[in-house]
Amino acid sequence: MLKRADTAPATAPADANASREAALSASIGADSSAARGTGRRVRRVGAVLAGAVVVLFIARVVLGSPVVYLDQLAQILAGETVPGLSFIVLEHRLPAASVGAMAGAALGLSGTVFQTLLRNPLASPDVIGVGYGAATAAVTGMLAFGLAGPLLSAVAFAGGLVVALFVYFMADSGKHTGGRFILIGIGVAAMLQAVLNYLLTRTDVRAAGDALHWLVGSLSSSTWERAGTILLSLVVLVPLTALAVSKLKILELGDDAASGLGLDVRRTRAALVVLGVALSACTIAVTGPIAFVAFLAGPLARLLAGRTNFACSAFVGAALVLAADFAGANLFGDISLPAGVITGALGAPFLLWLLVRSNKQGMGG
Amino acid sequence: MAQLTARSLSLGYDKSTIVADLSLELPAGEVTMIVGANGCGKSTLLRGMSRLLKPSGGSVVLDGKDIHAQPAREIAKVLGLLPQTPIAPDGITVRELVGRGRYPHQGWFRRWSSEDDDAVARAMHATGTEELSDRPIDELSGGQRQRVWIAMALAQETDLLLLDEPTTYLDVAHQLEVLDVVADLNRRRNTTVAIVLHDLNLAARYADHLVALKDGEIYAQGHPAAVVTETMVHDVFGMPSRVIPDPVAGTPLVLPIGRNRVVRDINHDENAARAAAGRPTGTLPPVPAAAAAGEGVRPADGDDRQSGGDGVVPAEGAGLRPALEACPTLAYTLTAVAATTLSPSYRRVTFTGEDLAHFGTGGHPLDLRIKLVIPGEGGGVDHFAALRPDGRIADADVTGWYRNWLQIDPAERGWLRTYSIRSFRPAGHPGNMGGHAEIDVDFVLHVKREDGRLVGGPASVWAATAEPGDTITMLGPNANRCGPDYAGIEFRPGSARRILLAGDETAAPAICSILETLPPGMTGNAFIEVPTVDDIQGSFTRSGVSVQWLPRGSNPHGEMLDNAVRSAVAIPAAGAVVAGREPEDIDVDETILWETAGGGNQPFYAWLAGEAGTIKELRRYLVRDAGMNRKQVSFMGYWRRGKSEM
Ligand SMILES: Cc1cc2nc3c(=O)[nH]c(=O)nc-3n(C[C@H](O)[C@H](O)[C@H](O)COP(=O)(O)OP(=O)(O)OC[C@H]3O[C@@H](n4cnc5c(N)ncnc54)[C@H](O)[C@@H]3O)c2cc1C
Repeated sequence: MLKRADTAPATAPADANASREAALSASIGADSSAARGTGRRVRRVGAVLAGAVVVLFIARVVLGSPVVYLDQLAQILAGETVPGLSFIVLEHRLPAASVGAMAGAALGLSGTVFQTLLRNPLASPDVIGVGYGAATAAVTGMLAFGLAGPLLSAVAFAGGLVVALFVYFMADSGKHTGGRFILIGIGVAAMLQAVLNYLLTRTDVRAAGDALHWLVGSLSSSTWERAGTILLSLVVLVPLTALAVSKLKILELGDDAASGLGLDVRRTRAALVVLGVALSACTIAVTGPIAFVAFLAGPLARLLAGRTNFACSAFVGAALVLAADFAGANLFGDISLPAGVITGALGAPFLLWLLVRSNKQGMGG
Repeated sequence: MAQLTARSLSLGYDKSTIVADLSLELPAGEVTMIVGANGCGKSTLLRGMSRLLKPSGGSVVLDGKDIHAQPAREIAKVLGLLPQTPIAPDGITVRELVGRGRYPHQGWFRRWSSEDDDAVARAMHATGTEELSDRPIDELSGGQRQRVWIAMALAQETDLLLLDEPTTYLDVAHQLEVLDVVADLNRRRNTTVAIVLHDLNLAARYADHLVALKDGEIYAQGHPAAVVTETMVHDVFGMPSRVIPDPVAGTPLVLPIGRNRVVRDINHDENAARAAAGRPTGTLPPVPAAAAAGEGVRPADGDDRQSGGDGVVPAEGAGLRPALEACPTLAYTLTAVAATTLSPSYRRVTFTGEDLAHFGTGGHPLDLRIKLVIPGEGGGVDHFAALRPDGRIADADVTGWYRNWLQIDPAERGWLRTYSIRSFRPAGHPGNMGGHAEIDVDFVLHVKREDGRLVGGPASVWAATAEPGDTITMLGPNANRCGPDYAGIEFRPGSARRILLAGDETAAPAICSILETLPPGMTGNAFIEVPTVDDIQGSFTRSGVSVQWLPRGSNPHGEMLDNAVRSAVAIPAAGAVVAGREPEDIDVDETILWETAGGGNQPFYAWLAGEAGTIKELRRYLVRDAGMNRKQVSFMGYWRRGKSEM
């Protein structure tokens, strides 16, 4: 280094060398900045989405009737009692927003796991009936056995898993993840929805009113206890998902290539299915099936970030649920609509669009 | 180095067996190509050998351990695999995809490291994909994409690499691009490679070891030159074909014969000659411009000088006759005009000289033998003056010159060595460098360097150091006295329509020369054993004779030739034909093995030449075991191990 610095100014050839080196390093710099380009976009989008989640979270807490001003919010959070507001904020809006954010994130992750694993944007747990499986199991557990809390989550998980495995094996052990798989899933979902309806009509009216949100997911019955249940599940599931994603990245290359890289394809796939179901089920046990969040989060995040990214999917999921809940609570005057109605209204056209498109591409198998 | 072996491997899906009881060892450090018709089980075999498919019987052993008994990730550190249709995730960049190849080297806690970065850089460098590194995969062409996939497999940094149809869907240029990358890799890193390929010709060109699969069984395996034959193509691909040497690579080239569009009865030689001479008749060589530039219309030749009677002619006069009239064998003064090293073992020297106007037998030289006089220490005196075209010779010396020559002190007289005429081009031939006729002789170089000096047989050393301008004396047929029945030509197939030509590297020039003359109706086999793959040369024949070069490598001399001849000439079914009697023994250490025949009316004729011990074994096999009529075979010991020849 020193030597070159000494001689460089002295001789012409060294100068030429130096300038060539400069050009070289400039081009390398350009190269690696381009490489960072895609990564940077993902990070930027991720940051914006995280910001949006925070804003929506605060909006969900402060807006509505009554409106909570930020200084009041600060007081409440500091532990002071603001009459008429403290209860609404602490016992109603804050837990609802927390459940909404976490549920949305979990659904977003769950959907993206399924969509990537099965290489089909239609293959999200809500479309293929996994959500309704969890909901049906949860409602049964709740109405027939009076279950609640983590136990209810476990039952929901079991129900979702049963449906997932059923659809999976009906579609030839997951070999076909095209139209056939989706159609089986949609059929199962419709069937389970009927079962849910039946169960709810058979119970007494008060309980059914409480259980209405099992048909269209909502945050209205969120409590701190339920938020705690979701948080507990996420504390376990999110690190597992992070690990699984590194394997999913290999699985994405196709079964043969993945085996060639030393991945145990069958076990990895089974683990990912279980993980995806668990992420869905832990939220559904609390909020009911919030339609299409799992289905929309992945593709929307992709659209924004330019590629599949699980963190972005989680943020989009959280933002979707918070926004839908906020809209349902505040935009329709006196009527308060559950979040699931809003997401359902948003998701259905997208589902139709995808179905039409996949049909055109002949994903009949 | 990693060693992958299939032992009595059976593979199948559900209940149908596709590969049954197959054993295969991938030669370490070599490129193995697996070929076969569609559905023969070649891809299944690769899947079985790479752990994608659990065997229904037998095992696949990697470095002594069953691959299904080891953790997948451990295997993936040694054995890389590129499947037929890997899937590129949307939007992924080249570098990221290549990076995924590092997966087996990362653990639960070991994350991306600089070692991984280096491996990715090396893989991208080896495949020339660096410039693409930040491009999304979806933007690349098929060939580029395939190179990226190979880079991913390379980043895995395994000793073994299995590729399943890496060239499917690629155009020809990209197919070569991909195979070249793999070949480079094999050469540079010594990676053992196995490739399933559907293109037989490309497989033959790039393989060190070729495995032909038929109905889930190995039909043949070995060097492509030994495996790719018309019979193999017929049996394995169910297709008639011609196998010729690839003019580009020298490896076997399969030309399929369909039912239509087959050229019949075209005399390529004649057409080529006509085209080259630029005249429709093409039989008479045009008068060379240089020679015609003399005073008369007749080119200057020996006759002029002879009638001129200058001082070279011995003074005695009486009782002497012009050698040109008297001697069937003349001594020609030749000058080397070119000396080219064709391959590690061959050096071609092109000779010319005005004497050559008298050389020949009037026909194609076939396996015509000549003798070269390698100069000794002495020199100065011309011991062959009387045999020169302008010489005059006593009657006694016409037959006695050889005895006389033997009387001379060996150190002074030099050495007589026998060689074949690889090609003879009369004056005016378009391929000639000068105005006179030219001769090519292909010398086998069996020399080594000791203390900076070349050591070996005198002829071999001479050839190894020959330069244009060197002169030498050659003894060969006098065109005035010799016809096509000249005794120095041994190839006499008579009315045979099927022939066998077999020989080692010293016989290759003769065999190649013979092949060029064979008519289209002729069929059979030519086997030529040469020291290395690089010694395989282009050979041309219009006939249906299938030519196979057998690169010896580390096999003992003659072994491959022996096997090839045995597989081409089967032993008759026991009892159906009375096998021949044991031929009388020839002690090749004492005498020369030289048993020639020809001109017969049998349908089959064999011509075998090479190292005497090898030829002796083949003689025993053909005469005793296969019961061949000895009138239909020529056996010629061209040289003897440990002995000098004259
Ligand atoms: C009819 C006929 C045609 C021939 N045509 C050709 C031809 O076209 N091209 C050609 O190269 N040869 C040809 N040969 C063979 C050639 O004559 C011998 O190889 C000859 O021994 C070479 O002479 P030398 O002076 O190099 O070696 P020599 O002095 O004869 O032998 C020295 C040593 O080298 C060994 N030796 C000789 N030849 C070989 C060899 N090829 N490989 C390894 N060791 C060897 C001998 O056993 C001996 O130990 C032909 C022989 C005959 C009879």
